Amino acid sequence: MSGYQLSIEDYSKQNSSKIYKKIIFYTSLISIIFLSVYFIIILDTDWHRIGSGQAILEQLSYFIGLDVSIMPLLILPAFETFLMACLGTMLGLLLSLPVAWLGAKNVTPLGMFTFSIARFLMTISRSVHEIIWALIFVGAVGLGALPGILALAFRSVGFISKIIAESIEGADKKPIEAIKAAGGSGFDVMYYGIIPQILPTVIGTIIFEWDINIRRSAVMGLVGAGGLGLAFFRQMHMSNYPGVTTVILFIVGLIVIGEILSHYLRKRII
Amino acid sequence: MNDIYKRNNAKNFIYISLFFFVIYLCFLYLGIDFQRFFSALGRFGNLIATRYYPVDIPYALEPGYLASILDSVQMGYLGLIIGVIIASILAYFAASNITPSKRVGYVIGKFFIIFSRSIHETIWTILFVTIVGFGMLAGTMALTMYCIGFFGKLFSEELENVDMKLVETIRSNGANEMQVFAYGVWPQVKTAFTGILIYTWDVCFRASTIIGFFGAGGMGWYLKRNVLQLEYARTSAIIVSIIVLVIFSEALSAYMRDKIYKETQ
Repeated sequence: MSGYQLSIEDYSKQNSSKIYKKIIFYTSLISIIFLSVYFIIILDTDWHRIGSGQAILEQLSYFIGLDVSIMPLLILPAFETFLMACLGTMLGLLLSLPVAWLGAKNVTPLGMFTFSIARFLMTISRSVHEIIWALIFVGAVGLGALPGILALAFRSVGFISKIIAESIEGADKKPIEAIKAAGGSGFDVMYYGIIPQILPTVIGTIIFEWDINIRRSAVMGLVGAGGLGLAFFRQMHMSNYPGVTTVILFIVGLIVIGEILSHYLRKRII
Repeated sequence: MNDIYKRNNAKNFIYISLFFFVIYLCFLYLGIDFQRFFSALGRFGNLIATRYYPVDIPYALEPGYLASILDSVQMGYLGLIIGVIIASILAYFAASNITPSKRVGYVIGKFFIIFSRSIHETIWTILFVTIVGFGMLAGTMALTMYCIGFFGKLFSEELENVDMKLVETIRSNGANEMQVFAYGVWPQVKTAFTGILIYTWDVCFRASTIIGFFGAGGMGWYLKRNVLQLEYARTSAIIVSIIVLVIFSEALSAYMRDKIYKETQ
């Protein structure tokens, strides 16, 4: 009887400590909100300079309208952006194949050593933003579409190779064992045992990454790689606000086309 | 599965050569020098080794820079909170199965989510900087738009996958839209909501490290300054600090998501 009583007390004590923990957690989250509001909106913002709501509306109204005259000049950069995304994804796939091979636990050649190197490369590639990659490559190979392609490729390596490595690890072992038992070499195992199993996943991933890369390639021009980003940059610096709206419209159009294409492709393949 | 490796060498050869020819044409069109392309990796390695290599770690530990990290964290947090509040409402309208009005609300919700998603966060930053001026407010607004796109898409997909039987049961008992959401939909998506929220925080923080490059405060501003001053050692210190912070936030978000999924199961 007393044991039963005790357990209830224990339970309620545990529960109340849990509630206290919850209260502390949520109050700290909310107080961080107030703190950030204080720092950002009160301390850091110069409301005087922004002016009244009317001034903001006036500033916004500059963007209304389209600059029809630059539309023909945007078709080629849009195509360039599109090509940049395609080539960047392809190069990214090419670069991520060896990384995935090293980063899959069951096929990595030198055990923990190569595995951790590959994981490190994946993390680096994912955590550096595409703008920073583009900055580095503009410094390395000069202006133009090439640094954009390389930046997109390096940025995609992390994601693509992670998915490939995970699907290699999750591949069915039976065909692999069968090929090994029949005397197949490491290459045979890879080519006939693993690749047919992971191909659908890999293709789906590539299409997904390509879709994201279109979005990314549209901003590569901001730091010196060509495409629509460069057109945006120019219009912005000429303070041609209707032109800016036009470029944004082109970017959105390109991305919508890419999304429709990728949806259709994924449906067909998977 | 087996027909992937169908032996049709002549056809395969034509396809492969056509593929390479198209890539060659793309390179010609984009005006890429082949020599430059093949030497790119070497140049990249060379640049890292000679310019970026002696990382100026003490620079990344200066109080001014550390304060800017705090700025970035705050921008990401506030942008996340505002963005998620707006995105939840939009996602409710943009989920085809529970939307209150299929003709108007669905289209508007979907349109806003796609629109804010299709514009990159850096472009949002530039636009908001022109409207409200340099500073963290512009960055917060840009991150808000980014979170609306990111969170809205994931959450509206989650809402579309709820079990409609429960929802219909509650609705057929005479509950209004509010009650249907509170008792039928919300309990089903609660865990996913928290998981997506944490994931969005992670992604938003990653974006907040860079948007300062275009005029919103935070670490990006330091990055821009050092890039323009050609201070390679300092730039690499900033990049290293960004990598460390991103890895940390990724690990934290993975840990929290794991914990939440375990708690609910």
